Amino acid sequence: MSPNEQPTSINPNANANALKIRLAYRFLHNLNNLNTKRSNLDNTRINRRSHRVKIAAYASMASVVGSRRAWSRSILWKIKKQGVLSRNKKRVDRVTSTLHRHHHVHLGSKRRSRNPKREYYVDPFGNSGQEVKLRKLVPGVEMMNACALLDETADYIKCLATQVEVMKTLVDLYSTI
Amino acid sequence: MQKDGFFNNGIGIPHSWNSIFEIEKQVSEQIPNCYINSNWDHSLDQSDPFESALSSIVSSPVNSQSGITIPGCENVVLKELIGRLGTICNSGNTSANTSCYNTPLNSPPKLNLDHHHHHTSIPRNNQLPLPLAPFPADPGFVERAARLSCFVETGKFSSNQSFKNAEFSSAISASDNKANRVSMSIDNKELDTSMEGSSLSEQNINVEIGIKSQNISSNGRKRKVISKEKGKETHSSTLSVKENKTVGEHDAKRSKSDEQGNGIEKEKKEGNQKQTKENAKQAEPPKDYIHVRARRGEATDSHSLAERVRREKISERMKFLQSLVPGCNKVTGKAVMLDEIINYVQSLQRQVEFLSMKLATVNYRTDMNAETVLSKDTHAMNHLDALAQPFYAMAHDGPENPLTAMMQLHGSNMKSSQINGFGEASAFWENDLQSVVQTGFSQNQEPNFHGKTSTRQMKVEL
Repeated sequence: MSPNEQPTSINPNANANALKIRLAYRFLHNLNNLNTKRSNLDNTRINRRSHRVKIAAYASMASVVGSRRAWSRSILWKIKKQGVLSRNKKRVDRVTSTLHRHHHVHLGSKRRSRNPKREYYVDPFGNSGQEVKLRKLVPGVEMMNACALLDETADYIKCLATQVEVMKTLVDLYSTI
Repeated sequence: MQKDGFFNNGIGIPHSWNSIFEIEKQVSEQIPNCYINSNWDHSLDQSDPFESALSSIVSSPVNSQSGITIPGCENVVLKELIGRLGTICNSGNTSANTSCYNTPLNSPPKLNLDHHHHHTSIPRNNQLPLPLAPFPADPGFVERAARLSCFVETGKFSSNQSFKNAEFSSAISASDNKANRVSMSIDNKELDTSMEGSSLSEQNINVEIGIKSQNISSNGRKRKVISKEKGKETHSSTLSVKENKTVGEHDAKRSKSDEQGNGIEKEKKEGNQKQTKENAKQAEPPKDYIHVRARRGEATDSHSLAERVRREKISERMKFLQSLVPGCNKVTGKAVMLDEIINYVQSLQRQVEFLSMKLATVNYRTDMNAETVLSKDTHAMNHLDALAQPFYAMAHDGPENPLTAMMQLHGSNMKSSQINGFGEASAFWENDLQSVVQTGFSQNQEPNFHGKTSTRQMKVEL
């Protein structure tokens, strides 16, 4: 991940459309997987479904980008962790509770080992709390300095915007049956 | 040569340097030694505690000059410079001689020039390189000085001397970050006196030469040079947009302010540069500039340069973010921009949530209707035959979601697209959307307005 790359600086339209197509494809794929897998479970509850759709959206967005970006990596990691945990939960409770904790601890430590120390850089913007807010919003940027943070934010915004577009078109498609 | 012997403390001299010396020789013979001696004494008189440093520094080059019999003035001028160096060295640094030679580049020229300016009316063009002669620590600097001296020779001298002095000092100060205010004070004085179009152009050229000369990276200064170059170039480029006179002033001033690494002056550079520099000048009687330097010594060169580079990077990224976030063209300043960015990200995330909820409900409903709708529509569309066949194959298998069929279609299209390119794939996909909409979903004669318009929009974007 070169900090100097500025995505979509050259030929923005082609890149945007390609991204859109890939996002849409992946998202539909994930959605269908969701529906096929979990059709028997919790299908009636809208909250659960919407949550799963949201996870599918973020997962598709992150997987399209791949491991190039810190935010995508962290999203994929979180989803994996969630998946493992939820799978553990659905097993026997007693067994899974310990497994749970092991996994939780293990994953937590793994996470921590991956990001060993939190370096807090001096606030270059000189403003209170804005950078912190941004770090909370964008996943996976806790360790970065301001430059890289802005980079990741730009990429994240771009992907989020395309994801929102794709979802809008899908909703329109579905709703106008 | 003898001069080589002097400078061969580990530093090589380019050939031009010798040529400069020769030129200086020719001119310097005219200069009375007493004048230079008086300057030297004057400098000594200024501050007693520096005598020790002076003597130490003066003695060392003198010792190295064992075989040198420089015709009068050069040696004295060198000694004078070394003395001046000593003063500044003693105040700021107690480090090695090289640093003493390097860092206080500005002060000796300043003092020299002040005295020159006051005392003589002799065309001092060829003298200017002289004071800088004993700064051999950088071959890069040597070349710089060589270039500048050549430039000095070629230019006009009578009316623009002071200006040239300022230029020269500014160019020299361009090589170092410390004590830039000194040169700036000079500029303040002398820019007032001589401001002409030609001189301005020369000034610009000087600044550019300074920039170019910085291309020659010296020993430990590569990074500094590059970053300074950057700063200077950006400023010179921005300045070229503006108009003549004020541009010229601000050029030199801005380049110096860049070199300084002082946060204050950088912030003010867009605005009243003259005022800030006049304040800096007022704060600097010959004693006080030592104080100032001590204060500014907190931000050493490398740090300030690194900070400046960082700031430029950040501003670059902020500009890019401005283009991403809609409606941020008018917004200036990082704080407001950051707020906008945060709001935008939050709004996007909320939209994703909302849309996912909508999709969940809508999807559920369409799941219910999918198979029925699929089974209904069995007639083949003309242009959709090829697309429809796998579609109908899927229909036999009973996909839960017609979109799976679409995806398979899209999958086949994706394969072809890898050959054709993404543009065609996108067109295909949007056609698929429309086709699926028409065949799979709609019995209506008017298929989705929204879907079509959205896909049309997507097509237009293509």
